[in-house]
Amino acid sequence: MAIQKRQFKTQNRPNAPVEPPRWPARLLDWFVAPHLREDLQGDLYEIFQKRVEQVGIARAKWEYTWAVLHYLTPFFFKRQPKQYPQPFFLTPAMIRNYFKIAFRSLVKSKGYSFINIAGLAAGMACSIVLFLVIKHETSYDQNHTNGNRIYRVETENIKEKHIYPGTYTGMVNALRNDVPEAELVVPLFKVWGKTFSVPTSDKQFKESVVFANNDLFHLLDYQWVGGSERTALSQPNTVVLSRAYAEKYFGTTDVIGKTLQLDGKQDLQVAGVLENPPTTSSFPFNMLVSFATIKNTDPGFDLNKWNGWGDNFQVYALLKNGLRPEQLTQRFSRIVLKYIGKEALPDKRFVLNPLSELHYSSNMSGRTANVALLKTLSYIGLFVLLIACFNFINLTTAQAFKRAKEVGVRKAVGSNRLSLVYQFLTEAGLITFCAALLSVLIAQLSLPLVNDTLSIPLTIFDLFTWQMALFIVGLVFITALLSGIYPAFRLSGMAPIWALKNNPFAQGKPLFTLRQGLVVVQFTISLMLISSALLINRQLAFFQNADLGFNKSAIVTVGLPDNSSAKLQLLRSRLAESPKIKEVNFSFNSASAESNWMQNMEYRQSEKAIPIKTQMKMADANFLSTYSIQLLAGENLRDSDTSSTSFKIIANEVFLNRMGINRPADAIGQKVYYGDGQEFATIVGVMKNFHVNSLHQKIDPTVYQVIPNNFYQAGIKLSSDKLETMQAALAHIEKAWKATYPNHVFEYKFLDETLAQAYDAETRTAKLIGVSTFLAVLIACFGLFGLATFTAEQRTKEIGVRKVLGASVLSVWGLLSKEFVYLVLIAFVIATPVAYYFLQDWLTKYEFRTELSWWIFALAGVGTLTVTLLTVSFQSIKAASLNPVKSLRSE
Amino acid sequence: MKRTFLGEFEEIVLLVVAGCSEDAYGVVIWEQLQQQTGRNITISAVHATLYRLEEKGFLSSQMGGATAERGGRRKRFFTVTALGSRALQEIQVLRDQLWKAIPQGKLQLIGQ
Repeated sequence: MAIQKRQFKTQNRPNAPVEPPRWPARLLDWFVAPHLREDLQGDLYEIFQKRVEQVGIARAKWEYTWAVLHYLTPFFFKRQPKQYPQPFFLTPAMIRNYFKIAFRSLVKSKGYSFINIAGLAAGMACSIVLFLVIKHETSYDQNHTNGNRIYRVETENIKEKHIYPGTYTGMVNALRNDVPEAELVVPLFKVWGKTFSVPTSDKQFKESVVFANNDLFHLLDYQWVGGSERTALSQPNTVVLSRAYAEKYFGTTDVIGKTLQLDGKQDLQVAGVLENPPTTSSFPFNMLVSFATIKNTDPGFDLNKWNGWGDNFQVYALLKNGLRPEQLTQRFSRIVLKYIGKEALPDKRFVLNPLSELHYSSNMSGRTANVALLKTLSYIGLFVLLIACFNFINLTTAQAFKRAKEVGVRKAVGSNRLSLVYQFLTEAGLITFCAALLSVLIAQLSLPLVNDTLSIPLTIFDLFTWQMALFIVGLVFITALLSGIYPAFRLSGMAPIWALKNNPFAQGKPLFTLRQGLVVVQFTISLMLISSALLINRQLAFFQNADLGFNKSAIVTVGLPDNSSAKLQLLRSRLAESPKIKEVNFSFNSASAESNWMQNMEYRQSEKAIPIKTQMKMADANFLSTYSIQLLAGENLRDSDTSSTSFKIIANEVFLNRMGINRPADAIGQKVYYGDGQEFATIVGVMKNFHVNSLHQKIDPTVYQVIPNNFYQAGIKLSSDKLETMQAALAHIEKAWKATYPNHVFEYKFLDETLAQAYDAETRTAKLIGVSTFLAVLIACFGLFGLATFTAEQRTKEIGVRKVLGASVLSVWGLLSKEFVYLVLIAFVIATPVAYYFLQDWLTKYEFRTELSWWIFALAGVGTLTVTLLTVSFQSIKAASLNPVKSLRSE
Repeated sequence: MKRTFLGEFEEIVLLVVAGCSEDAYGVVIWEQLQQQTGRNITISAVHATLYRLEEKGFLSSQMGGATAERGGRRKRFFTVTALGSRALQEIQVLRDQLWKAIPQGKLQLIGQ
């Protein structure tokens, strides 16, 4: 294209000579030895010109190309030996000089240096923190002797496509009897909300506790402070504590043989003390109670159960050396066949999950790495670093045009290109090094914030490890190269004659410079981040303000350690004494909760039974009124509706929908069966839909039934959500509760806060994207500020002349701001469709979601434009209001 | 002194340089060559031969001034050295001797 364009030009202007074809000329220039080059090129050029006249341009060009090809022989390539010795540019003296000059130029332009260093430091701090986070998340459970042979037995529901971390209690014996490949089988059973006390003092705490046998200590590596791994948990009624917990309960680690009381009933003897677990463990147990103790604390616990399981009962196996988990598939399908039955085979499967993977799925430590979030974070970190590097490139090339003279002089007195490259790279290195020091400081200061947002236990010691040092060195190296190499080669490549001329950059202005390109990239990234941040915050607001179908405000939940009807009666009457308490509801869980009871129901009206996977809300008669759920048809349940001969339920609209009934009134009196059995319940009422799960999920078909055996919590509706009312009510609730359950620890939660926890992941992502957006925009603005300063300085004289000729401050401001506005607009055009695509994709994973409306992008665009204008205006107004007398005198 | 061997093409190039009335440089030599011999010769072959002859000491060269029609590049002018002219004369002498050795009228007879 370019060549053709030139041809076109020359034909219009006959005086200008036709140039030989560009690529062959370049090839010749590069290939032929320098001492032959000039006259040879000259001869070819002369012949070419003659031939143009004789045979025309096209044929002359072809002949030229053909002739050039004949020169591609070793004879013409061979270089003459150099006449002078080549100096070595990395002697200590030269290096010292590079640093000296670098330091001087750094100090000379303090503003630029500051912008450069601050921008780079922010970008590098980002990547350092991310490296820390990723290193932490990938370092879980790495140091166990037998680590590569340890697996967790997980249960998969094939039809649901879901793998559960827990398994049947019967699996322990099955593995021991039927799977000889398993060297060790270790069950772990986690229980929440147990009260531990020291009989000799009044210390009492609510704890979660893990039941385990002695094999655990052979499976995983533990450090012992007291006691021994061979005997510690072999007896019933023994407990092993961590160092921290030994001190928490007894104030000392010398506690072997002392007694702890569990739930005020069962005495446990301390049989060992473990060193505090490392933070990077999926098994950070503080209290281990011997497995045999379960028989005493929970006599009904079935250790050979095959008809239901929970996530809190997990089985670990140590496989024999050299075995791969896939080799046991057959064994496990035989277990399904033997213990559950043939009909379960298509739906039930057991899989072995290696120890190293546990941190990425549900595990007993309660800390799980969110791989998707980590990935997003690494990309964002990379982006922010990239923006910072672009800044550096932009500012250095812009500013270095001031240094063109220096380059010219250096070249004129004999510096070669390499030493100039070293010089500029040293400067980049120095700036990056300063930025690295600053970034370590920033990273250190931001650690608490990071820990808080990501809820990970990072400490300052994680920042000063050899891996971290290596990473920072690598980062400095790469950043310096990335940001320094382009300016270095660009500047050192200038011909001295150009560099020494007054305006070295008059050699043709390309339509779109690299600098403008980089600014566009910066703002594209910033705009995408801004629109993501806006959208995710809107989705969060949507979660918080969505109409859940029930009223979540001013509801306090407390646990019920004992749900015998006498105790419940007592608690209710005590609570009712206060006028600040409006309603008390005993139930299995709240109207919306994280863990639910799912039940298979069947509606057998037509030929074929309709199975409905139903969520059970088990609560007393106050359920609907406490949560303000609307009854659409029929009547409410009564506390006495517990007779097994006539179960009564209230179903929600989704349930009716599954049944195939449209009008609520039609459902009254219908029978639904529990599973495929003969027990059934009659629908006596229909309630309006309400969100039984978090808003990530659909509304399940739900029925509400009174089953007092399963009441585990009390939902207490207060008369108002004013602070004084709440405080007084809480005090009253605590008093009433303590009076009812004297040996237990009182804990309460606000329902709205509990519900908000379901959106922790989104809140976290929103915060992180918010912070990185802020950083990205900040760094980009830094760069823009620097560029605006540069442009204003370069055009000082022009502005002076314009003002003398009558330009207003406003028009000069417009002139200077225009080109940046134009870049932001391009960025906006690029960023919007890309962001739209990704955000739309992100939104679809939510069952209930906000809309991706146009104003999100408009707001992002207008916001960016405003920030850009503010940044640029600071400089352009300054330049525009300068007295022309001054600006015209400046040289 | 050991005689340096001159190839046929080298000899012709050397003769053309010697025979040039104006200053001899690449393009002129190339054109002369084609004109005199009627052969189609590539410019690269001429350049290679010129530089090789210079290496052998039969030619010397010096750069001229820059000219606009060559895009500002200078010309390299070649002149025959003393060694070059002696080599040409020796060849001439040798050829004369060989010609004289041919019996009179023999070539004409073969030619017919």
